[in-house]
Amino acid sequence: MAKIVFEHITKEFIDEKRGKVRAVDDASFTIDDKEFMVFVGPSGCGKTTSLRMIAGLEKQTMGNIYIGDTLVNNLHPKERDIAMVFQDYALYPHMTIYENLSFGLRNLKTPKDEIDRKVKRAAEILSIEDLLDRKPRELSGGQRQRVAVGRAIVRNPKVFLFDEPLSNLDAKLRVQMRIEIAELHKKLGTTIVYVTHDQVEAMTLGQRIVVMNKGVIQQIASPDELYNSPVNMFVAGFIGAPSMNFIQCKVDNDRFIAEDIYLPIPEKFLKAMSKYQSKDIIMGIRPEDIHDEKYSQTVKNKSEIMANIKVVEKLGSENLLYFDKWGNTITARVSSKSKIVYGDKAKIVFDMDKIHIFDKETEMAI
Amino acid sequence: MAEVKLGNENIPVFVEKESKSFKVKRVIIYSILILWCAFTILPLYFMIITSFTDPNSSANLQFSLIPTEFTLDSYKYFFTFNENVLRWLFNSLFVSSIITISNVFFASMAGYAFSKLRFPGKNKIFWMLMCAIMIPGQVTLIPLYILVKDVFNMTDSYYALIIPSLVSIYNIFLMKQYMTSIPSTLIDAARIDACSEFGIYRKVILPLAKPGLAVMGIFSFVAHWNDFFWPLLVTESSTMRTIQVGLASFKFVDSTMYGPLMAGSVVASIPMFILFFSLQKYFLQGITIGAIKG
Repeated sequence: MAKIVFEHITKEFIDEKRGKVRAVDDASFTIDDKEFMVFVGPSGCGKTTSLRMIAGLEKQTMGNIYIGDTLVNNLHPKERDIAMVFQDYALYPHMTIYENLSFGLRNLKTPKDEIDRKVKRAAEILSIEDLLDRKPRELSGGQRQRVAVGRAIVRNPKVFLFDEPLSNLDAKLRVQMRIEIAELHKKLGTTIVYVTHDQVEAMTLGQRIVVMNKGVIQQIASPDELYNSPVNMFVAGFIGAPSMNFIQCKVDNDRFIAEDIYLPIPEKFLKAMSKYQSKDIIMGIRPEDIHDEKYSQTVKNKSEIMANIKVVEKLGSENLLYFDKWGNTITARVSSKSKIVYGDKAKIVFDMDKIHIFDKETEMAI
Repeated sequence: MAEVKLGNENIPVFVEKESKSFKVKRVIIYSILILWCAFTILPLYFMIITSFTDPNSSANLQFSLIPTEFTLDSYKYFFTFNENVLRWLFNSLFVSSIITISNVFFASMAGYAFSKLRFPGKNKIFWMLMCAIMIPGQVTLIPLYILVKDVFNMTDSYYALIIPSLVSIYNIFLMKQYMTSIPSTLIDAARIDACSEFGIYRKVILPLAKPGLAVMGIFSFVAHWNDFFWPLLVTESSTMRTIQVGLASFKFVDSTMYGPLMAGSVVASIPMFILFFSLQKYFLQGITIGAIKG
């Protein structure tokens, strides 16, 4: 069993300029055995600090961490049975790839023939058998990343920790390595904790995702749930690319008023909106739920507006339209068949069944 | 515009010519550099040609660029002048080597601690050391001499020559600055790879710090090999002299034996040349190539 338990974990740093800084604030959650858990959030949100606390590279200010059933608060990284892949690979430049892979096992005084067997197996899994005699500087970025993963595999640990492992790779290689990491998880069946700031990586890899902001956990949920039922505006805005559009509206009986435009409140929200009468709320709508009127036959609950299109991005499979409305730039992801071009005054359709509503004060979902 | 023949066609091409002012600039720069080199090499050249002159004729210094004679007599004179000449060489070698080794060991450990480890009072201790570096050596010389002579009674011994220089603050500073450039993730990776703290220093930090250690090693060795004043102060007997102090004995009240003195200087330079050329490859070596992204 290699579940990981965070019990009221707080981590504070003393910063010379800012004084006491709380990097992680009272985090409690459980990562199940064999689960692929992704930590996601903007820079400085505390995700890497959380990972480093699991690794034992940072000590928490308060709270307990369990790996399996063992309380690991005071255990050295080597006693935690974990392996970590770093963002910058962290390969030992003076050692060959074979020595890099076997370094951990040699430190654990593993017999030579066993080291050899394990290194060769890891090299085979990652297709780096031909690189074993080379030095890290002779490898490409992708190969180095594979070696870094290999160094984790040879140890056969209870938990794998990945700290933004793909952020230094180019876009194509990143997609390829993402697939390889997902396959690796299936093959090894080990608990994986993966940190990234890239929400696409988080959505595609994670069985569950922890969304963090300013040291506070915002939501822990499956990718689907995060996407469809974000608990607050931060999660709604962070998950999804392009991100969700937010429009400030006033509740007026069974409709929203956004400046001069009236939008009918969907039936499922009518009851909840009764206590927001005459108050401002934030309506959220994802770009894919805004359509070109000519290609909106499938939309049941339509609201039409006119928009002056200021930018059109043709991505091949779809077009992205940008227009200014309500003081914001609204993004719409429409069919690639759409004929709307830059400068058009176009009829745009909102799919009102797909909207999200947030309290303006608390920014929490209603 | 010039023309280049490609197949049957003459293709016009633009050839960028060096401007006149650029050429003049280059001539000036090269002239300055050549003059600078000549000034640097001249003392060395003078030392070598004088060492091959007759010990007696060179007592009265005559400087000429073209050597007029070639003899090894000055070398013979140097080695037979005093029965302890070889001992002086050995003393210098022994003292400089021990000091260099101890500096490499202690300064690298301290540099690692100051650059990569977290411990209470780290910055305060480091700044205290930095303040100590600013005190001129001449100021501490007399208290140090009293300490060595009267408190520990170590004069005229290897202890007196070695112990005060076991580790220099300047070297700690040098190593701290150098080790700061080693990526901390390598240390984290080694910690996770079940390496002990001393193991990290020995297996990861030291191999990566080789270029820095080489520079520090050469500086330490050269500084102590050439040190004259401290060995002169703390040694009395001829057997405890170092080569630099020994060489001074070729200077008499009314004349100087330039031939043997220069022969001795050439001999005394050999270990430094060997050290420099055996370690020079590290100066050019980038340490973290391939370790991290890019």
